[in-house]
Amino acid sequence: MSAIFGDALEAKIDFHGQALVELIAKAWLVVAAVVSFVVGWWFQSLRLTLVAYGASTLILAVVVLPPWPMYNKHPVKWLPVKEKPKNE
Amino acid sequence: MFSEELKSFRRLGFRHLLLQCLNFASVIASGLMLWKGLGLITNTESPIVVVLSGSMEPAFYRGDLLFLTNPAHERYHTGDITVYQVPGAAIPIVHRVLETHDMPATVASVDPTTPARQYLLTKGDNNNADDLALYNGLRFLERGHVVGKVRGFLPYVGYVTIAMNDFPQLKYALLGGLGLMALIQRE
Amino acid sequence: MHNLLSRVNNISAFLSSCMMCLMGAVALSSLLYTADPKGTLTIKSASIKENEIRYYHRKQEMGFVGFKIDADLTPLFHWNTKQLFVWLEAEYTGSDGVTNEVAVWDRIVRRKEDAYLKVNGRQQYPIKDMQKTFNGVPAFNFTLKYNLMPHVGLLTYGEAARADGIPYNSTSRHI
Repeated sequence: MSAIFGDALEAKIDFHGQALVELIAKAWLVVAAVVSFVVGWWFQSLRLTLVAYGASTLILAVVVLPPWPMYNKHPVKWLPVKEKPKNE
Repeated sequence: MFSEELKSFRRLGFRHLLLQCLNFASVIASGLMLWKGLGLITNTESPIVVVLSGSMEPAFYRGDLLFLTNPAHERYHTGDITVYQVPGAAIPIVHRVLETHDMPATVASVDPTTPARQYLLTKGDNNNADDLALYNGLRFLERGHVVGKVRGFLPYVGYVTIAMNDFPQLKYALLGGLGLMALIQRE
Repeated sequence: MHNLLSRVNNISAFLSSCMMCLMGAVALSSLLYTADPKGTLTIKSASIKENEIRYYHRKQEMGFVGFKIDADLTPLFHWNTKQLFVWLEAEYTGSDGVTNEVAVWDRIVRRKEDAYLKVNGRQQYPIKDMQKTFNGVPAFNFTLKYNLMPHVGLLTYGEAARADGIPYNSTSRHI
């Protein structure tokens, strides 16, 4: 697939970045759900709840989807290529 | 274009293909089990239906998801929203009960444990006239025509199925894509 | 989560679970609103006339009714109320001893501002029995009922007013 999409669309991040994204996304979605429920309840408007949750999800997408530099701070360090032992 | 996928497919081999087929089948089987189990609990042949027409607007719009129950001993009252399908009708209809008339004991079954059977007349909130013209010559609905009573409601979620009916290409694209992914996925 | 596609996939899967929970919470929250408003219902006139049912081209007796409703249903509107379906039901025991329920009038209320019902009206749907006549029907009970339809969740029903034992036959009978 990578041949089709190219690296720019792949938007790869490193392992630490993946863990961070997962943590941010889950916490964000849960907290936003609770907050938008309470806000909608308070103002007695279901529309407000949905708008708030939708907006927060859009912001989340901007935060976690692109390969921001903070998700690529720990690139995998490969071992150096071993020189083939030359024939004696 | 798919040479890479084909290569990995060949590497994984026949056993892997079988395993993927098994996974696919188990997903479908558990879905069917859930559906039939739900139908058993709620005593209706289709416990969840999608609204297909606008005749109950503004209560229900096309694509809304309705949850039905149909307990055998329950009476129907005016104002209840029923889903019914008369013989010869292509699709079930969601409309509100306008009249109920119990059947006299001579007509209804003599078994005293079952509640009096009822004749029902329905009407769509958004329609001007009652549903007589939709009954294919029947004067009233009977319990046997009723699929269930609407209990709960989730807006717009069922719109996907309507979109798939309106644009059949979408359905084939989705099915094909899902099938391909199930076979190719390596996890 | 390593590339864009898998991030979109994972996050949208979790998002849909969260949405389901949110909708579930909204549906449950409407159980906390237990308003049970009551109003008054006065039956002004009740008469029986012979009339033709156009669909069958047959004549039979039909019940007509004039009524007055004064009911404040605004307490039923909360954040999860999509609309109220309000209707006037006539309930009677037929000459063959069976129960009949017929809606004679209905209205859809979509806004809280319109929920204070002050109606001085007549039936929209005449009462028709399975028999051709109302002979032997002692009395009619009229009830103002409502069906609260939520944006998401369970449909609930209630009764706002009633007027019992309205004798039809004795009031007026012009054929």
